[in-house]
Amino acid sequence: MTGTATRGTPRRSPDRDRRLPGDIDMWVMVLGDLFFFGCYFVTYMVFRALSVEEFSAAQRHLNIGIGVTNTVILLTSSVFAALGVIAVREGALKKAERLLLATGACGVLFTLLKVHEWHSEITQGYTIQDEFFSFYYVLTGVHLAHLVLGLLILGIAVRELRDPRGRRPGIIEQSVLFWHMIDLLWVVIFAILYLMR
Amino acid sequence: MTSATSTLTGSDPADGERPERGGSRDVRLVYWLFAAFYTAMSVGVCLLGRATPPPRPDVTDLQVALWFDKHQLGIQVGFVFLLVIAGGAAVSNGIIGYFMKRMSSGKVLAYAYIAAMGVGAIPGFHLLLICWLTATFRPDRDERVLHLLYDLGMLSYNGSLGCFTAAYAVLAIAILYDRNRVFPKWFAYISIWQIVTEVVATQMWLFHSGALAWNGMITFYIAVVIFGLWVVCLLHLMRRAAGAETSRTPALYAREA
Amino acid sequence: MTTPATTDKALLEKDRRAFLLVWIALSAATVLAWLLAPGEPESSADLGWGPAAAIVLLGLVKCRLIIRYFMEVRHAPRWLQTATDAWLAVLWITLLGIYLFWPGSQ
Repeated sequence: MTGTATRGTPRRSPDRDRRLPGDIDMWVMVLGDLFFFGCYFVTYMVFRALSVEEFSAAQRHLNIGIGVTNTVILLTSSVFAALGVIAVREGALKKAERLLLATGACGVLFTLLKVHEWHSEITQGYTIQDEFFSFYYVLTGVHLAHLVLGLLILGIAVRELRDPRGRRPGIIEQSVLFWHMIDLLWVVIFAILYLMR
Repeated sequence: MTSATSTLTGSDPADGERPERGGSRDVRLVYWLFAAFYTAMSVGVCLLGRATPPPRPDVTDLQVALWFDKHQLGIQVGFVFLLVIAGGAAVSNGIIGYFMKRMSSGKVLAYAYIAAMGVGAIPGFHLLLICWLTATFRPDRDERVLHLLYDLGMLSYNGSLGCFTAAYAVLAIAILYDRNRVFPKWFAYISIWQIVTEVVATQMWLFHSGALAWNGMITFYIAVVIFGLWVVCLLHLMRRAAGAETSRTPALYAREA
Repeated sequence: MTTPATTDKALLEKDRRAFLLVWIALSAATVLAWLLAPGEPESSADLGWGPAAAIVLLGLVKCRLIIRYFMEVRHAPRWLQTATDAWLAVLWITLLGIYLFWPGSQ
């Protein structure tokens, strides 16, 4: 699974050099974001532990079906993005563009479902009056803000692919890297908000 | 400070020797003013004014009056001092604007940054000083009025965000479009975190306690760590950018004769 | 030896298959975690030890698959592998630890 063999023996894929996907700037962003989101998650968990009964009762009002659907949508978007990078490396730029557009479409679908979910929760009266829901709206809101930024970045990547003078593979890798981070953070959010109750 | 010939770069092509340090003397001077201002602001706000770490938002009128009474001297000394040097904010924005004008992404973004930060300093900095100074210099006022000044100061200080988000956004855009690589791209991303924390800070208007109040873990402590990190990175990067200026760097403004 | 071009092509094809398998595994793990969480809104039972640990483990595996495969950290320099693994371990162990062992939380 790690893709690396023990030291001293040849690597499993000796024809492949170790390299940083994307660039170091995007990794500063990703690692930093992971760290700060990690702080948010731990804070949530501590506050949850301080009033388990209330949080647990509130968590039961979440629509877990929408949560699962959204998770699968984001995972699918991520696999489209990953395949898009392969297409760029193959030189199949049209295909790459289509894959990135499919990624973005999944992102839009996620956003629509999320907004629908928020809407139905608010109309049912689950607002920030409740401590769990205040965390819920902040965590999912910050995540959605990242996702919208991710859509913007995907748009930049698609423009890069269409521009005959552009087509720097680095830009595509960086934007896809950011997109995977959105997926990664959602997996954690889904687990702690929807499942661990 | 070294001799005048070696520090004034970008001016004298006949000067055979390479300068010992890059960057012109005035850029370095303003850089240090920036550093000194931010240090003074931290000392004034944290140690003397007691606005950071923040006092509790969930207190009664009487507790507020007692709190102001307890910290009267510190607030008066610290905040009067900050009120006197408040212009340092303008100088600090100016030096960032200077480096932004070095970027190939255009001067408009530099002006937008300076203007947004300048306007943001009024609710984000001045109003806190004025509210709490009023409260400590007029301690005989009604406790409810003191409580209002307490709330107004803190909410204005932490909860005013539109100008700052705009400033961070134009800074990020300027860095990402810049081809001169004045600042590295990762600093643009860190500025984007700042926008996120500022937006999350809206929540402190709604909550009186917990992780999202103005002394909350999420709205305050994590945000302050990100802000501190941002300032430290900025200090380092401006130093590097100033050092990268050579004798061939074109001047942004005319030299005095 | 194959020429570099065909090696590249074979490698890319291998990556593509790996991505699709990872996607299936991730989706399956999501559905599995769903089945572990009590479904009815009325049921008041908390997750026990077992399901909670299983959900955390599934989350951890999912995150690591995304990082290692989609983000291509498996071919990245070792410091990045260490950093991401450390984040994963610290985060999930802390979350599970708070969930299970915080005084009065169970």
